[in-house]
Amino acid sequence: MSETITHAPGPVPAATAADPDHRVRTAALERLVGPAGDPGNPLGTAAVLAADEQGELSAEGERLLTGYGLNAEFVPRALGGRFTQADGFAHLMRTVFRRDCSLGIGYGVTSFIAGLPIWASGSAAQQRRAADILLSGGRVVAAYTELAHGSDFSRVGLTATPAPEGLRLRGGKQLVNNVSRAEAAVVFARTSDRPGSRSHSHLLVDLDRLPADAVRRDIRYPTSGVRGCLLGGIEFDDCPVPADSVLGTPGGAMETVLRAFQVTRSVLPGMVVGIGDTQLRAALGFGLGRRLYGRPVAGLPYPRATLVGAFADLLVCDALATVGARSLHLLPGETSVQSAAVKYLVPKLLQESSYRLSVLLGARSYVRTGPYAVFQKAARDLPVVALAHAGSAVCQATIVPQLPRLAERGWFRPGAAPPAALFRPGDPLPPLDLALLELNARGRDTLSRAVTDTEYDDPRVNALARLFAGELRGIARRAAELPARDRTVLASRRGFLLADRYAHVLAAAACLGVWQHGDGPPRDPAWVICALHRLADRLGLKPGPPPRDAAEELHTELLHRHEEHLSFDLIRAPLA
Amino acid sequence: MSIASTGPTAPDTVPAADIRGWLVERIAFYLECSTEEIAEDAPLVDIGLDSVYSLTLCGDVEDRFGLTVEPTMAWDHPTVGAITAHLTEELARR
Repeated sequence: MSETITHAPGPVPAATAADPDHRVRTAALERLVGPAGDPGNPLGTAAVLAADEQGELSAEGERLLTGYGLNAEFVPRALGGRFTQADGFAHLMRTVFRRDCSLGIGYGVTSFIAGLPIWASGSAAQQRRAADILLSGGRVVAAYTELAHGSDFSRVGLTATPAPEGLRLRGGKQLVNNVSRAEAAVVFARTSDRPGSRSHSHLLVDLDRLPADAVRRDIRYPTSGVRGCLLGGIEFDDCPVPADSVLGTPGGAMETVLRAFQVTRSVLPGMVVGIGDTQLRAALGFGLGRRLYGRPVAGLPYPRATLVGAFADLLVCDALATVGARSLHLLPGETSVQSAAVKYLVPKLLQESSYRLSVLLGARSYVRTGPYAVFQKAARDLPVVALAHAGSAVCQATIVPQLPRLAERGWFRPGAAPPAALFRPGDPLPPLDLALLELNARGRDTLSRAVTDTEYDDPRVNALARLFAGELRGIARRAAELPARDRTVLASRRGFLLADRYAHVLAAAACLGVWQHGDGPPRDPAWVICALHRLADRLGLKPGPPPRDAAEELHTELLHRHEEHLSFDLIRAPLA
Repeated sequence: MSIASTGPTAPDTVPAADIRGWLVERIAFYLECSTEEIAEDAPLVDIGLDSVYSLTLCGDVEDRFGLTVEPTMAWDHPTVGAITAHLTEELARR
């Protein structure tokens, strides 16, 4: 990359943007996003920071993404879109998130979220309608959140009640991205007074066709991070909508949500890995440029360990997110637990890494101008993105009730090894069938066999795998002994702690599998050894410091990628 | 911890009273209350069995009766009485 050459992004050739191979499309998108350091690039870091300061999305950035046809990535191939596989989609969106997660979310990830209940439960006509809106560059927004109820969907207040002309909506939704400028919304509404989980329905609502006096959607919520995103509110005042707005069986929304959110919980963290990539690049750039005691800061032992550790953590995040996304296709009966583990642990690791890197950057971690200003933006964006859609407590509470059965029926029981395809980032997959995603894993956990059963050629890797197997044995014992109350969402710290430790074990399993079966990063065990050391350290398993040679190799790899402009994730993608 | 089950059993018919008794015991275990407090016609969500948590009841049914049921069983049959009737029917069908 040369900063002297001004990047003038042209349209990506239609054939490339529509290439059936998501890797080709991802590479094309990266070229479109262009060099970060080019001040003339409308999607360069300087332009992104300027838009953030204004609390706006880059208009030029949105225009470029429209030109690329990004919305097609949110629509299944069967409906004329380009979505085929969850991990490929996450990797593609990561390209945008590396540069500006506000743009990734603000342009449209929420259209992807809104699409899922439509693809899962909508009629052919509703699916066609939504696909047409998206494919023509429009927006469908996901209207779930009510600030008064947080993630407690069963108590939402917005109601849809039968009326002569169909249904009438009463109530409001808040923090709905893009609601002020969307063509349609998927609204999660109460359709029955009865308590329980069969009293809610999704409605696909054409926002432009509502009577103007019955709806208000010009409310905006300013936020600390993703400041450019148009997080808005919508208020329905006895607003009529057609009876055929309901998606699927009336009362079926809770079940649909529990399937659809397995997808979002598995793919969103894979995008957010891009934020960690950018933070690490900024911190490394700073560390290499700043001299202290006669050498670059990045060469001092502690900063160096911080940088290598952040790199290892980023690889852990990508491994867990990638395997989680691929599980949707390959182990759909088990993703109720696994997707929660991904959404719980990946944002947590990234946020902790963000903090450690901020210590290294010092004042440059919060100064909003200058060469490293992108760091503070990422650090502000990350917590918002981490909480958005499903906070960590919700994810843990999803795991806790399933732990006893996993302990009694799943872990350490004989069964098939995880398929190699689970661990090959980006490789082709069978289609994603939302109907196959089960609401409960029924004690099944194929992924954990990568720590309990699989033998690894490298003795150090094998020993680390067994360390996590021992940890899982301890979790199993404690899960089986959990008193009744600790098996529910009202669990004390004890239940939540087990969910936390179990998520770490799954992350270790994902790393081991990716190392064993994947083809990149190199089969060299340095990264997996460092990654597992980090995870083991976090659990207090006392694996000792990572072997010097492994840390040394990972450091070399980090510097190499920095020099060669390669991404810091599992993909090692060339950057523009 | 007391678990009523001694492993999957698959008798030809299970009396409804047995199913009901087992279910009440199981729910009382989760709610940490006495079996007398579980009324047959009380919606389970009203007496504290969270909707997400009730998804795990399918595992208990499988262990006790060797019967695979939908995790949403307690959503569609939201009382002890309704689940009993559902399980009686499912067991008879087998």
